[in-house]
Amino acid sequence: MRTVVLAQLRTHAARLIASTLAVVIAVGFVVATLVLNETSRSTVLDTVGARYVDAAAVASTTLDHPFTDDDVAALADLGSVGAVAPSYETGVQASVPGRPGSQYLLVESVADAPQLRWQELSAGRLPKATGEVAVSDRARAEVGDVLSVSVYDAEGEETTAEATVTGIVDLQGDPEAGLYGRGFVTEEQAQAWGAVDPVQLRIAAGPGFSADQVRTDVAAAVPGDVVVRSGEEQAEKAAADLMGNSTALAAVLLVFGTVAVVVAGLVIANTFAVLLAQRTRELALLRCVGATARQVRRSVLGEALATGLVSSAVGVALGIGLAAGVSTLVGSNSAIPLSGVTVPLYAVLAGLGVGTVVTVLAALAPARAATKVAPLAALRPVDSAPLRSRPGLLRLVLGLLLVVPGVLLLAAGVVTASVLVALPGGVLSFLGVVLLAQRAVPPVVAAAGRLAGRFGGVPARLAAGNATRNPRRTAATATALLIGVTLTSAFVVGAASTKATAQAGLDAEFPTDVLVRSYDADLPDSLSRTLLDVDGVQRAAGVIGGDVTGPDGEPVFVQAVDPTEAATVLRSTDKVDLPSTGVAVLPEWAAESWSVQDGAPVTFAVDGRTVTLQAQVTGLEQGLLMEPDALRSLLPDAGTSELWLLLDDADPDGQVGTVDDVTDVVAEAAPEAQVTGVVTMRDQLNKVLDILLLVVTGLLGVAVVIALIGVGNTLALSVVERRQENGLLRALGLTRGQLRGLLAWEAALVAGVAAVLGVLIGGAYGLIGAASVLGELGPIVLDVPWLQVAAIVVVATLAGLLASVLPARRAARTSPVAAIAA
Amino acid sequence: MSVPVMTVPGEPPAPARTTAAVRATGLRKTYGSGETAVHALAGVDVTFAAGEFTAIMGPSGSGKSTLMHCLAGLDTATAGEVWLGDTALTSLRDDQLTTLRRQRIGFVFQSFNLLPVLDARENIVLPMQLGGLRPDPAWFDAVVARLGLRERLRHRPHELSGGQQQRVAIARALLPRPDVVFADEPTGNLDSRSGAEVLGLLRSSVKETGQTVVMVTHDPSAAAYADRVVLLADGRLAGDLADPTAESVLDALRGLGG
Repeated sequence: MRTVVLAQLRTHAARLIASTLAVVIAVGFVVATLVLNETSRSTVLDTVGARYVDAAAVASTTLDHPFTDDDVAALADLGSVGAVAPSYETGVQASVPGRPGSQYLLVESVADAPQLRWQELSAGRLPKATGEVAVSDRARAEVGDVLSVSVYDAEGEETTAEATVTGIVDLQGDPEAGLYGRGFVTEEQAQAWGAVDPVQLRIAAGPGFSADQVRTDVAAAVPGDVVVRSGEEQAEKAAADLMGNSTALAAVLLVFGTVAVVVAGLVIANTFAVLLAQRTRELALLRCVGATARQVRRSVLGEALATGLVSSAVGVALGIGLAAGVSTLVGSNSAIPLSGVTVPLYAVLAGLGVGTVVTVLAALAPARAATKVAPLAALRPVDSAPLRSRPGLLRLVLGLLLVVPGVLLLAAGVVTASVLVALPGGVLSFLGVVLLAQRAVPPVVAAAGRLAGRFGGVPARLAAGNATRNPRRTAATATALLIGVTLTSAFVVGAASTKATAQAGLDAEFPTDVLVRSYDADLPDSLSRTLLDVDGVQRAAGVIGGDVTGPDGEPVFVQAVDPTEAATVLRSTDKVDLPSTGVAVLPEWAAESWSVQDGAPVTFAVDGRTVTLQAQVTGLEQGLLMEPDALRSLLPDAGTSELWLLLDDADPDGQVGTVDDVTDVVAEAAPEAQVTGVVTMRDQLNKVLDILLLVVTGLLGVAVVIALIGVGNTLALSVVERRQENGLLRALGLTRGQLRGLLAWEAALVAGVAAVLGVLIGGAYGLIGAASVLGELGPIVLDVPWLQVAAIVVVATLAGLLASVLPARRAARTSPVAAIAA
Repeated sequence: MSVPVMTVPGEPPAPARTTAAVRATGLRKTYGSGETAVHALAGVDVTFAAGEFTAIMGPSGSGKSTLMHCLAGLDTATAGEVWLGDTALTSLRDDQLTTLRRQRIGFVFQSFNLLPVLDARENIVLPMQLGGLRPDPAWFDAVVARLGLRERLRHRPHELSGGQQQRVAIARALLPRPDVVFADEPTGNLDSRSGAEVLGLLRSSVKETGQTVVMVTHDPSAAAYADRVVLLADGRLAGDLADPTAESVLDALRGLGG
């Protein structure tokens, strides 16, 4: 039988091209998804956790018990430890020559050991000695500039020093890069500028020692309250602290991976089923000339194995290439670049495995069907009667057995907001839906066909009949497209909700666009008006503040803001409790230290003047807030301590420019004030989200493309089978255009029904998925992007029409005589 | 559908036309070129009179099917002209030919005559519907009644016997009142009783309504139903018999060496 297998492969190479293509694309899809997942994961870690990923271990303690020099020395003495970098941090005011005023710089130490330096330089070098500093882009200084640095000690005494800029550090899309400038100095310099004892140590392994070894040794050497993580764990924690929740990120990646594998498997299976359908007679002929059923089965499976292996290998290569392409394309101009490609071994193995196993599995059913066919069937003329195959009862029962528990799991996942419950439910129910689709699709196509026949004329009526002639094949074709459309629309709807929820979350987390804050002197009263003149600034709200005497007789810093004015400036008030008349908003620490209950009166005093307000205890992290009138009755001259700015909804670049302008204006008017461009951070996070969505949507689009190859295949097969019939129609007066129309209608019916069903099912999955993933994180904002959903239906149907073009041309070229003579 | 069948026989549909329904002059059809060229038709001049039932006969490979395909506008000739009434088919483009076929020519083929997805009624009206026309209900009833299909209109082709399928095909061919009906071995797949029935129906449509019918056959007893037999051999006209009988046709064929 091996000769038969080889001969089949040789003779039918052309026919196999289609199935090979499907396997190649599908495997490429899986591999590209896995590789891109891995790449974007490592890229996110690289940017947000850049300083940690290369460390063997990271030890963290609390501000109450910082690491001492002795601790650092002790760790450095451990045999497995190569180097220890304590992280010294401090803040300074720095003025750049040629720029007005001064700006806040967050200063941190550069590791002495080269292997623990993570900073990427776009110019110059890292500092080597005191008096040198490297800065980030945000500082807007150039190499060689001499900065004048003001440092305030604990008593508020100012000392001034000079520092030469030696290099510019590229923070490479770190979302926090836009908040304020960063300075990088030697450890010694950081301490001289007021850095306190470090709370975090980054540790590199000595030559020949594994990271695990280092982690174990360090963990054994430090006190129990010190947390020791691997560099990667620490980086993930940093990413998670920033992005909100690490399990959500992991869950999203898990969902994509699962989706990729499932869709690839189903699409290959479907395409192969269509392609092998035309072989039934050929296989029966083999039986006729003496092949046993076993031999026939083995020949089909052998062929599938060879096809699967070869095309999977090609697919793996394609996938890696695709990922590299996407990475280069996205990486060049995005907030969080996908840098290079990270090819995990499991992606290669998964690609090969999925492609080969699924191809063989897909061939099992036709192989079984082929051996069941009586050998004589090969000699029987093609039956002109409509094929009335009934989808198996087994399929129905199995489908229901999958859908019912799947839906229950999904419901449980939504109720408990647990994606780990919903995910298996989604996979189960989706497999069930695919099985049931085989039964549900033909009647829907028939109904749609009756509708189309009413206004589409004779070709539409004929197409409706043709589309339901071989229900199993129509169902297989439609299902392939259904899968692609379902997943794409699930993703689009899910992503819209994810974005809406994340947007709401970011708004709540960072309610102001720009924060101008002065710790020492009051901000000039005119500043708010000047800032409103800056292009891109929409509104400003001032916060006044001052020291008053609290109920315990100790001084306390209190701020006051007009709640109506504040509400117009804040993007969200979910995480800010604004005061109302007669109320003081107390954070929990204040309520505790003063033993004030929520709703109880609380009295503040200044120089004998007192005001008594009703306490409103808030669990949110914010300062003491009251209404301006209340504060002024205590401190008539209370000055502005903060300005909250709302920017126009311009593009992110425009907003970054506005933040720079605001920084300049503030630096001139109030040199010691600090400008925090919160809006830039929010934009960066938004961009990350957008890129992830774009990449994955693109990949799912590939599933639709594969499905459309399936539509084209089915139509091509129909054209071959109906050669005589089409010839007859041509003889009877069907014009070429009408014949093309007939096939176009057939394609549109199948594709349209699949698209509509897919969008309905996919939309539901998207909402369920978003609810279960995001439910863990807080309130969900569900959002259905109607326009995109409609676009999916239109595009899928149009693409189906497109898939009919080649087969239709072939059909129209056939002369009526050739068809009749056949 | 309520028009009484009684009124129909008195309604001959044949419009005024020239006596020649179909005419070919110098018709050639060559496949290939040079040494390997095969002349399926090597210069045929033939005229088919209106209101006549003509059979085209000849041995296998004599070119009789090619002749019919060229006459019916299904195939294009290499040289020569074909006239359907006053229309020169050889000058028409594909879409014009297609329209002409559905309006002015009826077809009955040997097998695979009907579309499996349509029922008998839909098959019968198909050519007219393709042209966006509505069949005259009285004429439809008359045709259906004469072919005995009244009870079968809702049946799909696979629910009909071979003879019934051919009767549906004949009804379809007659319905648009074409200038000419071409029948290509219409009894080839039928048992002798059904075959005789089909031939009788073609014959009566010529007699009763003046329909022109041209039939290709290799069966002398089928040819005997015709008014005239045109004999073809090696792509050339090889004989012409009026009022043939099975015996005279057989004799003529023997004379061709077939």
